[in-house]
Amino acid sequence: MPSLISPAERDYILKGIECNIRADGRQRPDYREVILETGVISQTSGSARVRLAGGTDVLVSVKADIGPVLVDPETGEGADKGQIICNVECAPSASQQFEGRGADELNNELTQMMTRFLSHNTTSLTSTPSNTTPSSTTSSHNSNGAGGINLSKLCIIPGEQCWILYVDALVLDYGGNLVDAVFMGTRAAIFDTRIPKTEVQDLGDGNFDFEVLDDAEDTEIVEGREDMPICVTLNKIGARHIVDASPLEELCTEAKLVVAVNRSGELCGLQKGHDGGIEPSLLLEMIQFGKTLGQTLIKQLDAKIKAEADADMVKRQNGQPVVKLGFFAQ
Amino acid sequence: MAADRKRVAGPESSVAPLVEYPIDYQSWTPFTEKRHDSHRQPEDLRPIYLKTGLISEANGSAYIELEKTKLTCGVYGPRPVKRAGQGFSDKGTLNCEIKFATFSCVKRRGTMRDAQEKELSQILSQGLTPAVRLELFPKSNVDIYITVLESDGWGSCIAAAFTVASVALAHAGIEMLDLVAGCSASYIPTSIPSSSTSESTSASSEGTGAGSITPQIFMDADLEEEKFQQGSIVLAYMPSLNQTTHVLQTGKAEGAIISQSVEHCVEACNKIFAVMNHALLESIDQK
Repeated sequence: MPSLISPAERDYILKGIECNIRADGRQRPDYREVILETGVISQTSGSARVRLAGGTDVLVSVKADIGPVLVDPETGEGADKGQIICNVECAPSASQQFEGRGADELNNELTQMMTRFLSHNTTSLTSTPSNTTPSSTTSSHNSNGAGGINLSKLCIIPGEQCWILYVDALVLDYGGNLVDAVFMGTRAAIFDTRIPKTEVQDLGDGNFDFEVLDDAEDTEIVEGREDMPICVTLNKIGARHIVDASPLEELCTEAKLVVAVNRSGELCGLQKGHDGGIEPSLLLEMIQFGKTLGQTLIKQLDAKIKAEADADMVKRQNGQPVVKLGFFAQ
Repeated sequence: MAADRKRVAGPESSVAPLVEYPIDYQSWTPFTEKRHDSHRQPEDLRPIYLKTGLISEANGSAYIELEKTKLTCGVYGPRPVKRAGQGFSDKGTLNCEIKFATFSCVKRRGTMRDAQEKELSQILSQGLTPAVRLELFPKSNVDIYITVLESDGWGSCIAAAFTVASVALAHAGIEMLDLVAGCSASYIPTSIPSSSTSESTSASSEGTGAGSITPQIFMDADLEEEKFQQGSIVLAYMPSLNQTTHVLQTGKAEGAIISQSVEHCVEACNKIFAVMNHALLESIDQK
């Protein structure tokens, strides 16, 4: 993948975008075709693979593990909540610039972005009691991180054990627009995630013991997964902005804005990247644009995931084996 | 168990030294409709103390204080790139490094740069690069080292970092297109959400449910106020060119709140710009 671009190529892309014609024939707000498949890895609690037509290939896996609760020493928060730990890694084979330590900065940037948008626990304003049993549903949106996922539901024994969701994204191929692909994959993987049920026994004296029920059919979904945000990356090139940039377009980008929006239209995060400036009026316009686009994207994504899940369900009920297409399917 | 002779154990009935709050102490909540610092209005910033020339060895340096947030910045450069074999570049590079002192936050931080600091360093260089005329020093590098001595509010730290770095760069005599002012704001609900129906978490609700309240925008929130925030925004802005060089928003917020807070932050950055100019003019008078 080139990390240099010639002035002629840059000019070609710039002028084209002004005329609303991009190098591959798309218009400015057009996304490339997305191929999404869930349940591709058997050893995980949930997984998904996202491929964008330009070559970007991201594999996201969710593993649910049991661990101790993380209590904030200052506020005492977190004793009744589970955790989400994110990590993004770009495989060195994905691009020439990723070999060795080349991808470290990008990995860190994507990981921090994911952590911020998904599990940033905006300190909850619990006027509603949060010290009730984990099965309570009284609290409103405050018990969720900005990522929408209900962390209280992931708690097994308050103050002791909880479910920890390890979300790991692996970038297999770089074709531009990694952020959007990673978040799309994460949403699909979380949708696909099934957490085993646990049975808590009260041993008396404030001691609890729990057992993980090993039933593959009887599992729980991750609550709050519909409220997970999705990202739309807007690249400012010249005086216009485009969506879903290819690698060459990314090299021409002056400033990049990542807008994280959930299905209700709330903004879950905003981050600017690259070395250019954006006028405040253009900034607000881009935010609005990204928000609308994001909501449409979520609707389409959800419809597809639901269709796949329904088809699988029908197959299972008919006793037919559910065959995944596998890694090399087009 | 064998006694560990290297440690001196305290007496059996010892108690850890904890600061005791006075009996009538009440921790602050936003429901009192006032800010943590009762003298401030929601749109007020903390008074800024900005001074240059703190570090004698550096080409340029600055120190900023926003009441309890204290940052220092040292700028070295332009100096030649360390590994000249990295290839010719016709533009200079900006290398930003931010480090939180181990004693700066409530919980002790590690001595090595952690992932968060690395990301912040990247954010800072992305926010400062548009302002610096890098094409004037090819094959050279400008190093910006920021140390956070005391942190009172995450957003205010990042915003102050932008401000202090710009002033230090200007003090070092590095040509810039404009100064970058940083400002932060938090969305804080100032009324208790009505814990009405217990089914408000059903999927049919539009995410916010029956008990939602429009949060108020508190400019330059400190640590106590940030504990109650629903979200925050940090903005870096070049006042003369009217360009935002960085925006970082976390937490959930409606589009209207974001637009409002961006406008408030731009206004506040203009005010901070005046303070930065004043500090730089003073430094010239001193020389």
